[in-house]
Amino acid sequence: MKPVYALLFLVFSSVSVFAQKKVELRFNTDGVCGMCEKRIESALLDIDGVWTADWTIESHETWVVYNPKKVSELDLQRAVAAVGHDTPLVKAKDEDYAKVHACCKYRDEQVVKAHGG
Amino acid sequence: MIKRLVFGSLCFLSLPLFGQVDTSLYQSLQIKEVTIREDAAGLSIDSKSAQLDLNISRTELKKAACCNLSESFETNPSIDVAFTDAVTGTKQIQLFGLAGKYAQIQVEMTPLVRGLLANSGLQFIPGTWVQGIQLTKGIGAVNHGPESMTGQINVELLKPEDLVDAAAAPDSEGRGDVLLNGYFNQGGRFEINEAYGVRLNKKWMISSLGHFSGRQRGTDVNGDGFLDNPLGYQVNGMLRARYFGQNGWEGLYTFHALEDVKQGGQMANAFAPGIGADQLWTSQIKQGRLAFTAKTGWVNPDLPEQSFGSIVQVYSHELGVQMGLPKGTAPSSLYSQLRGIQNGGMAQVLYYHGWGALVQTSALILQHDAYQVGLDRLELGNGRPWVENNVGLSTEWTYQTEERFTAVLGMRVDAHSIAGNQFSPRFHMRWEPWTSHTFRVVAGRGFRMAQPLLEEYGRLASQRFIRWEQYGQVLGGDLLSMESATNMGLSYSHPFMLNYMAGGIQADLHRTQFQRAVIHDFYTPGERSIYPVTIRDWPGSIPLQSISAGISINYNLNKRSELRMAYRYQDLKASYYSDDVNGNGLMTLPVPFVAPHRLMVHYSRSFKGGVVMDVTLQRYGKQAIPGIDPSIRPAIDYAPAFHLLSAQIRHEFKGGDLYIGMENALNVTQSNPIDGAVSPQTSQPLLPSDPYFQSHFDATRIWGPIFGRMLYLGTNIAL
Repeated sequence: MKPVYALLFLVFSSVSVFAQKKVELRFNTDGVCGMCEKRIESALLDIDGVWTADWTIESHETWVVYNPKKVSELDLQRAVAAVGHDTPLVKAKDEDYAKVHACCKYRDEQVVKAHGG
Repeated sequence: MIKRLVFGSLCFLSLPLFGQVDTSLYQSLQIKEVTIREDAAGLSIDSKSAQLDLNISRTELKKAACCNLSESFETNPSIDVAFTDAVTGTKQIQLFGLAGKYAQIQVEMTPLVRGLLANSGLQFIPGTWVQGIQLTKGIGAVNHGPESMTGQINVELLKPEDLVDAAAAPDSEGRGDVLLNGYFNQGGRFEINEAYGVRLNKKWMISSLGHFSGRQRGTDVNGDGFLDNPLGYQVNGMLRARYFGQNGWEGLYTFHALEDVKQGGQMANAFAPGIGADQLWTSQIKQGRLAFTAKTGWVNPDLPEQSFGSIVQVYSHELGVQMGLPKGTAPSSLYSQLRGIQNGGMAQVLYYHGWGALVQTSALILQHDAYQVGLDRLELGNGRPWVENNVGLSTEWTYQTEERFTAVLGMRVDAHSIAGNQFSPRFHMRWEPWTSHTFRVVAGRGFRMAQPLLEEYGRLASQRFIRWEQYGQVLGGDLLSMESATNMGLSYSHPFMLNYMAGGIQADLHRTQFQRAVIHDFYTPGERSIYPVTIRDWPGSIPLQSISAGISINYNLNKRSELRMAYRYQDLKASYYSDDVNGNGLMTLPVPFVAPHRLMVHYSRSFKGGVVMDVTLQRYGKQAIPGIDPSIRPAIDYAPAFHLLSAQIRHEFKGGDLYIGMENALNVTQSNPIDGAVSPQTSQPLLPSDPYFQSHFDATRIWGPIFGRMLYLGTNIAL
């Protein structure tokens, strides 16, 4: 039964963060498609202290649960802007916006229209 | 929205032509509505379907060590993967403990794992070709055919648009112009896979899927003189063309060709020098397939509630099996040869019409199979040809209100040239009395025509004398080889959020009761009997029955790790002829090679920088196997419980990934998998000329791994 213990150890080592303090935050984020969603969410999830993140295509809203002792609201929005998406506190730099894929150019009306918006 | 209803997310309502995981139709219209995400849950339950449908994505398939469809279920708690035998190297799957042949296994709604390929068809679908798998537990939808008894597995392969559109969006994960996969393992197996798509013009796209695999280096880890896995190769390729026309017309045309050769048995270098190949027990299995499939679909552009589809397929399968010593070198009981050709085709027309909450889908299927079987084995004679034709008409009404309740009533009638007229009613119901608590009920009947000897040809690797009374019992093509069953099931599923993280619970209970079954009886040492047991001939008997209950829980412990735990109980019983004068001539005994208690724990964790780790632990409980002690009647033995641990680490980078893993990390092996292969006194391998070998040889009692711990290495590259 040794393998069972090894597996349980792995599991509990990842549960240790259960007790951490968590705060919910919602903020508007510009984007148009599923690729944007993935980019926004993984930018946030890569941050230590972020528990979970979700961007909704219909409402353009980012929902993030995080530990305020480790990361601030501004840090979160900076991270999103750094991958090219505008947030209320931080506008993405032109060079960062330039890096998003052609189908994700949410500042271009033609692209927005093509996505049905 | 309505188009999405036809081809999109409501699986049960969708026109089952281009597959239920295909959301790329009308993509230009749908960007807002449907987005495919590769990082979506590897395993997900379709919450809207009236059936218990489990979707298995490409992400999930990457967790499987290797290589083809049968192995891709190794991280799935619903399906068991049984062990290979050293002769055929074929892994079998079980659903509710019943063999894979009792599930309807289809590739894009066309049959593949059927007839001559019932034993090995799963091996001819390389894992890297698969776009997604949909698994239905319990009896399947009526329009897909009569053969589903325990469930239905539909595999969608990569279509031209998947490969072409991936090229248009190069940073969508793991895809690109040319997808290449390479794999190598410690057991000497290598594999190369390819997928490539080109857009020719606005209407046409073409793609190719290629596979080459083999094993050139033999191993004999347990020193019994037999190869642990057969040597050989497989060449397998598919060419596909896709058409999107005006006015709602579309088409998909596929050409499939493959050849598979396996050579197993004793290795000359296990014996003293000077022993020639003609003195060794060897096996050679050669299989081939040629098939062409044309699918056409039409959605009425003015009235999208109406759509129509057709599938036409023609195929030719070939199977050649030769086992034992070269013919004439005696003893003849150790020689068998089997040659089979199956030429056939199927045509299916589907029609879909909706009236608001009520939807009707109807299908007409024509099937034709011509079998030519030649045999050369002492007690079996010479074989014979036969033809099976079937005309099936089916219809299904789906009634859905307010997303809380769905009921599906289906009926099919088959006029089969051998089985006669068969009526198969089916019923599915889904009810969500409280949000995210879903109950499902399923009941229905299915039937199939067995080819008992052909679909279990690996069991010819034995000195067991095959007992049979009529050809229909052993070869098929006769009412004696028809099997039918009813399945009833109840299930509950509940997705939940806990501590901001998603999880789910599901539980199910299924009973599959056969009215007719072809029994393979190994419970008399030295003999293998094949005979039908029917309720009509044996009133009150249980020809074959499975009662199965399972519970599984999955939970994302945090943003980077997922835990899955599952337990399944499966009680399998069958009726065997008995010489016990007190009974009614039948004895109810457990079915061999099914572990009643199965446990699985799967843990997956990703790290920054694109490293993913997967660990799977499986426990197989004690299982019944045929005994070899002639003084015990019935001869039932039990194999001990054991654990299998596998782990994989995958590094994803831009344009591909690299993975390394280990199967059977605990190094569990079955001792003496082949009876009679080694001398009980000296433990040295025996030649077939040895009397002990001749009276004991049996390679059909394999219940566990033969090869121990195995390391493997693989890579996916998008160029």
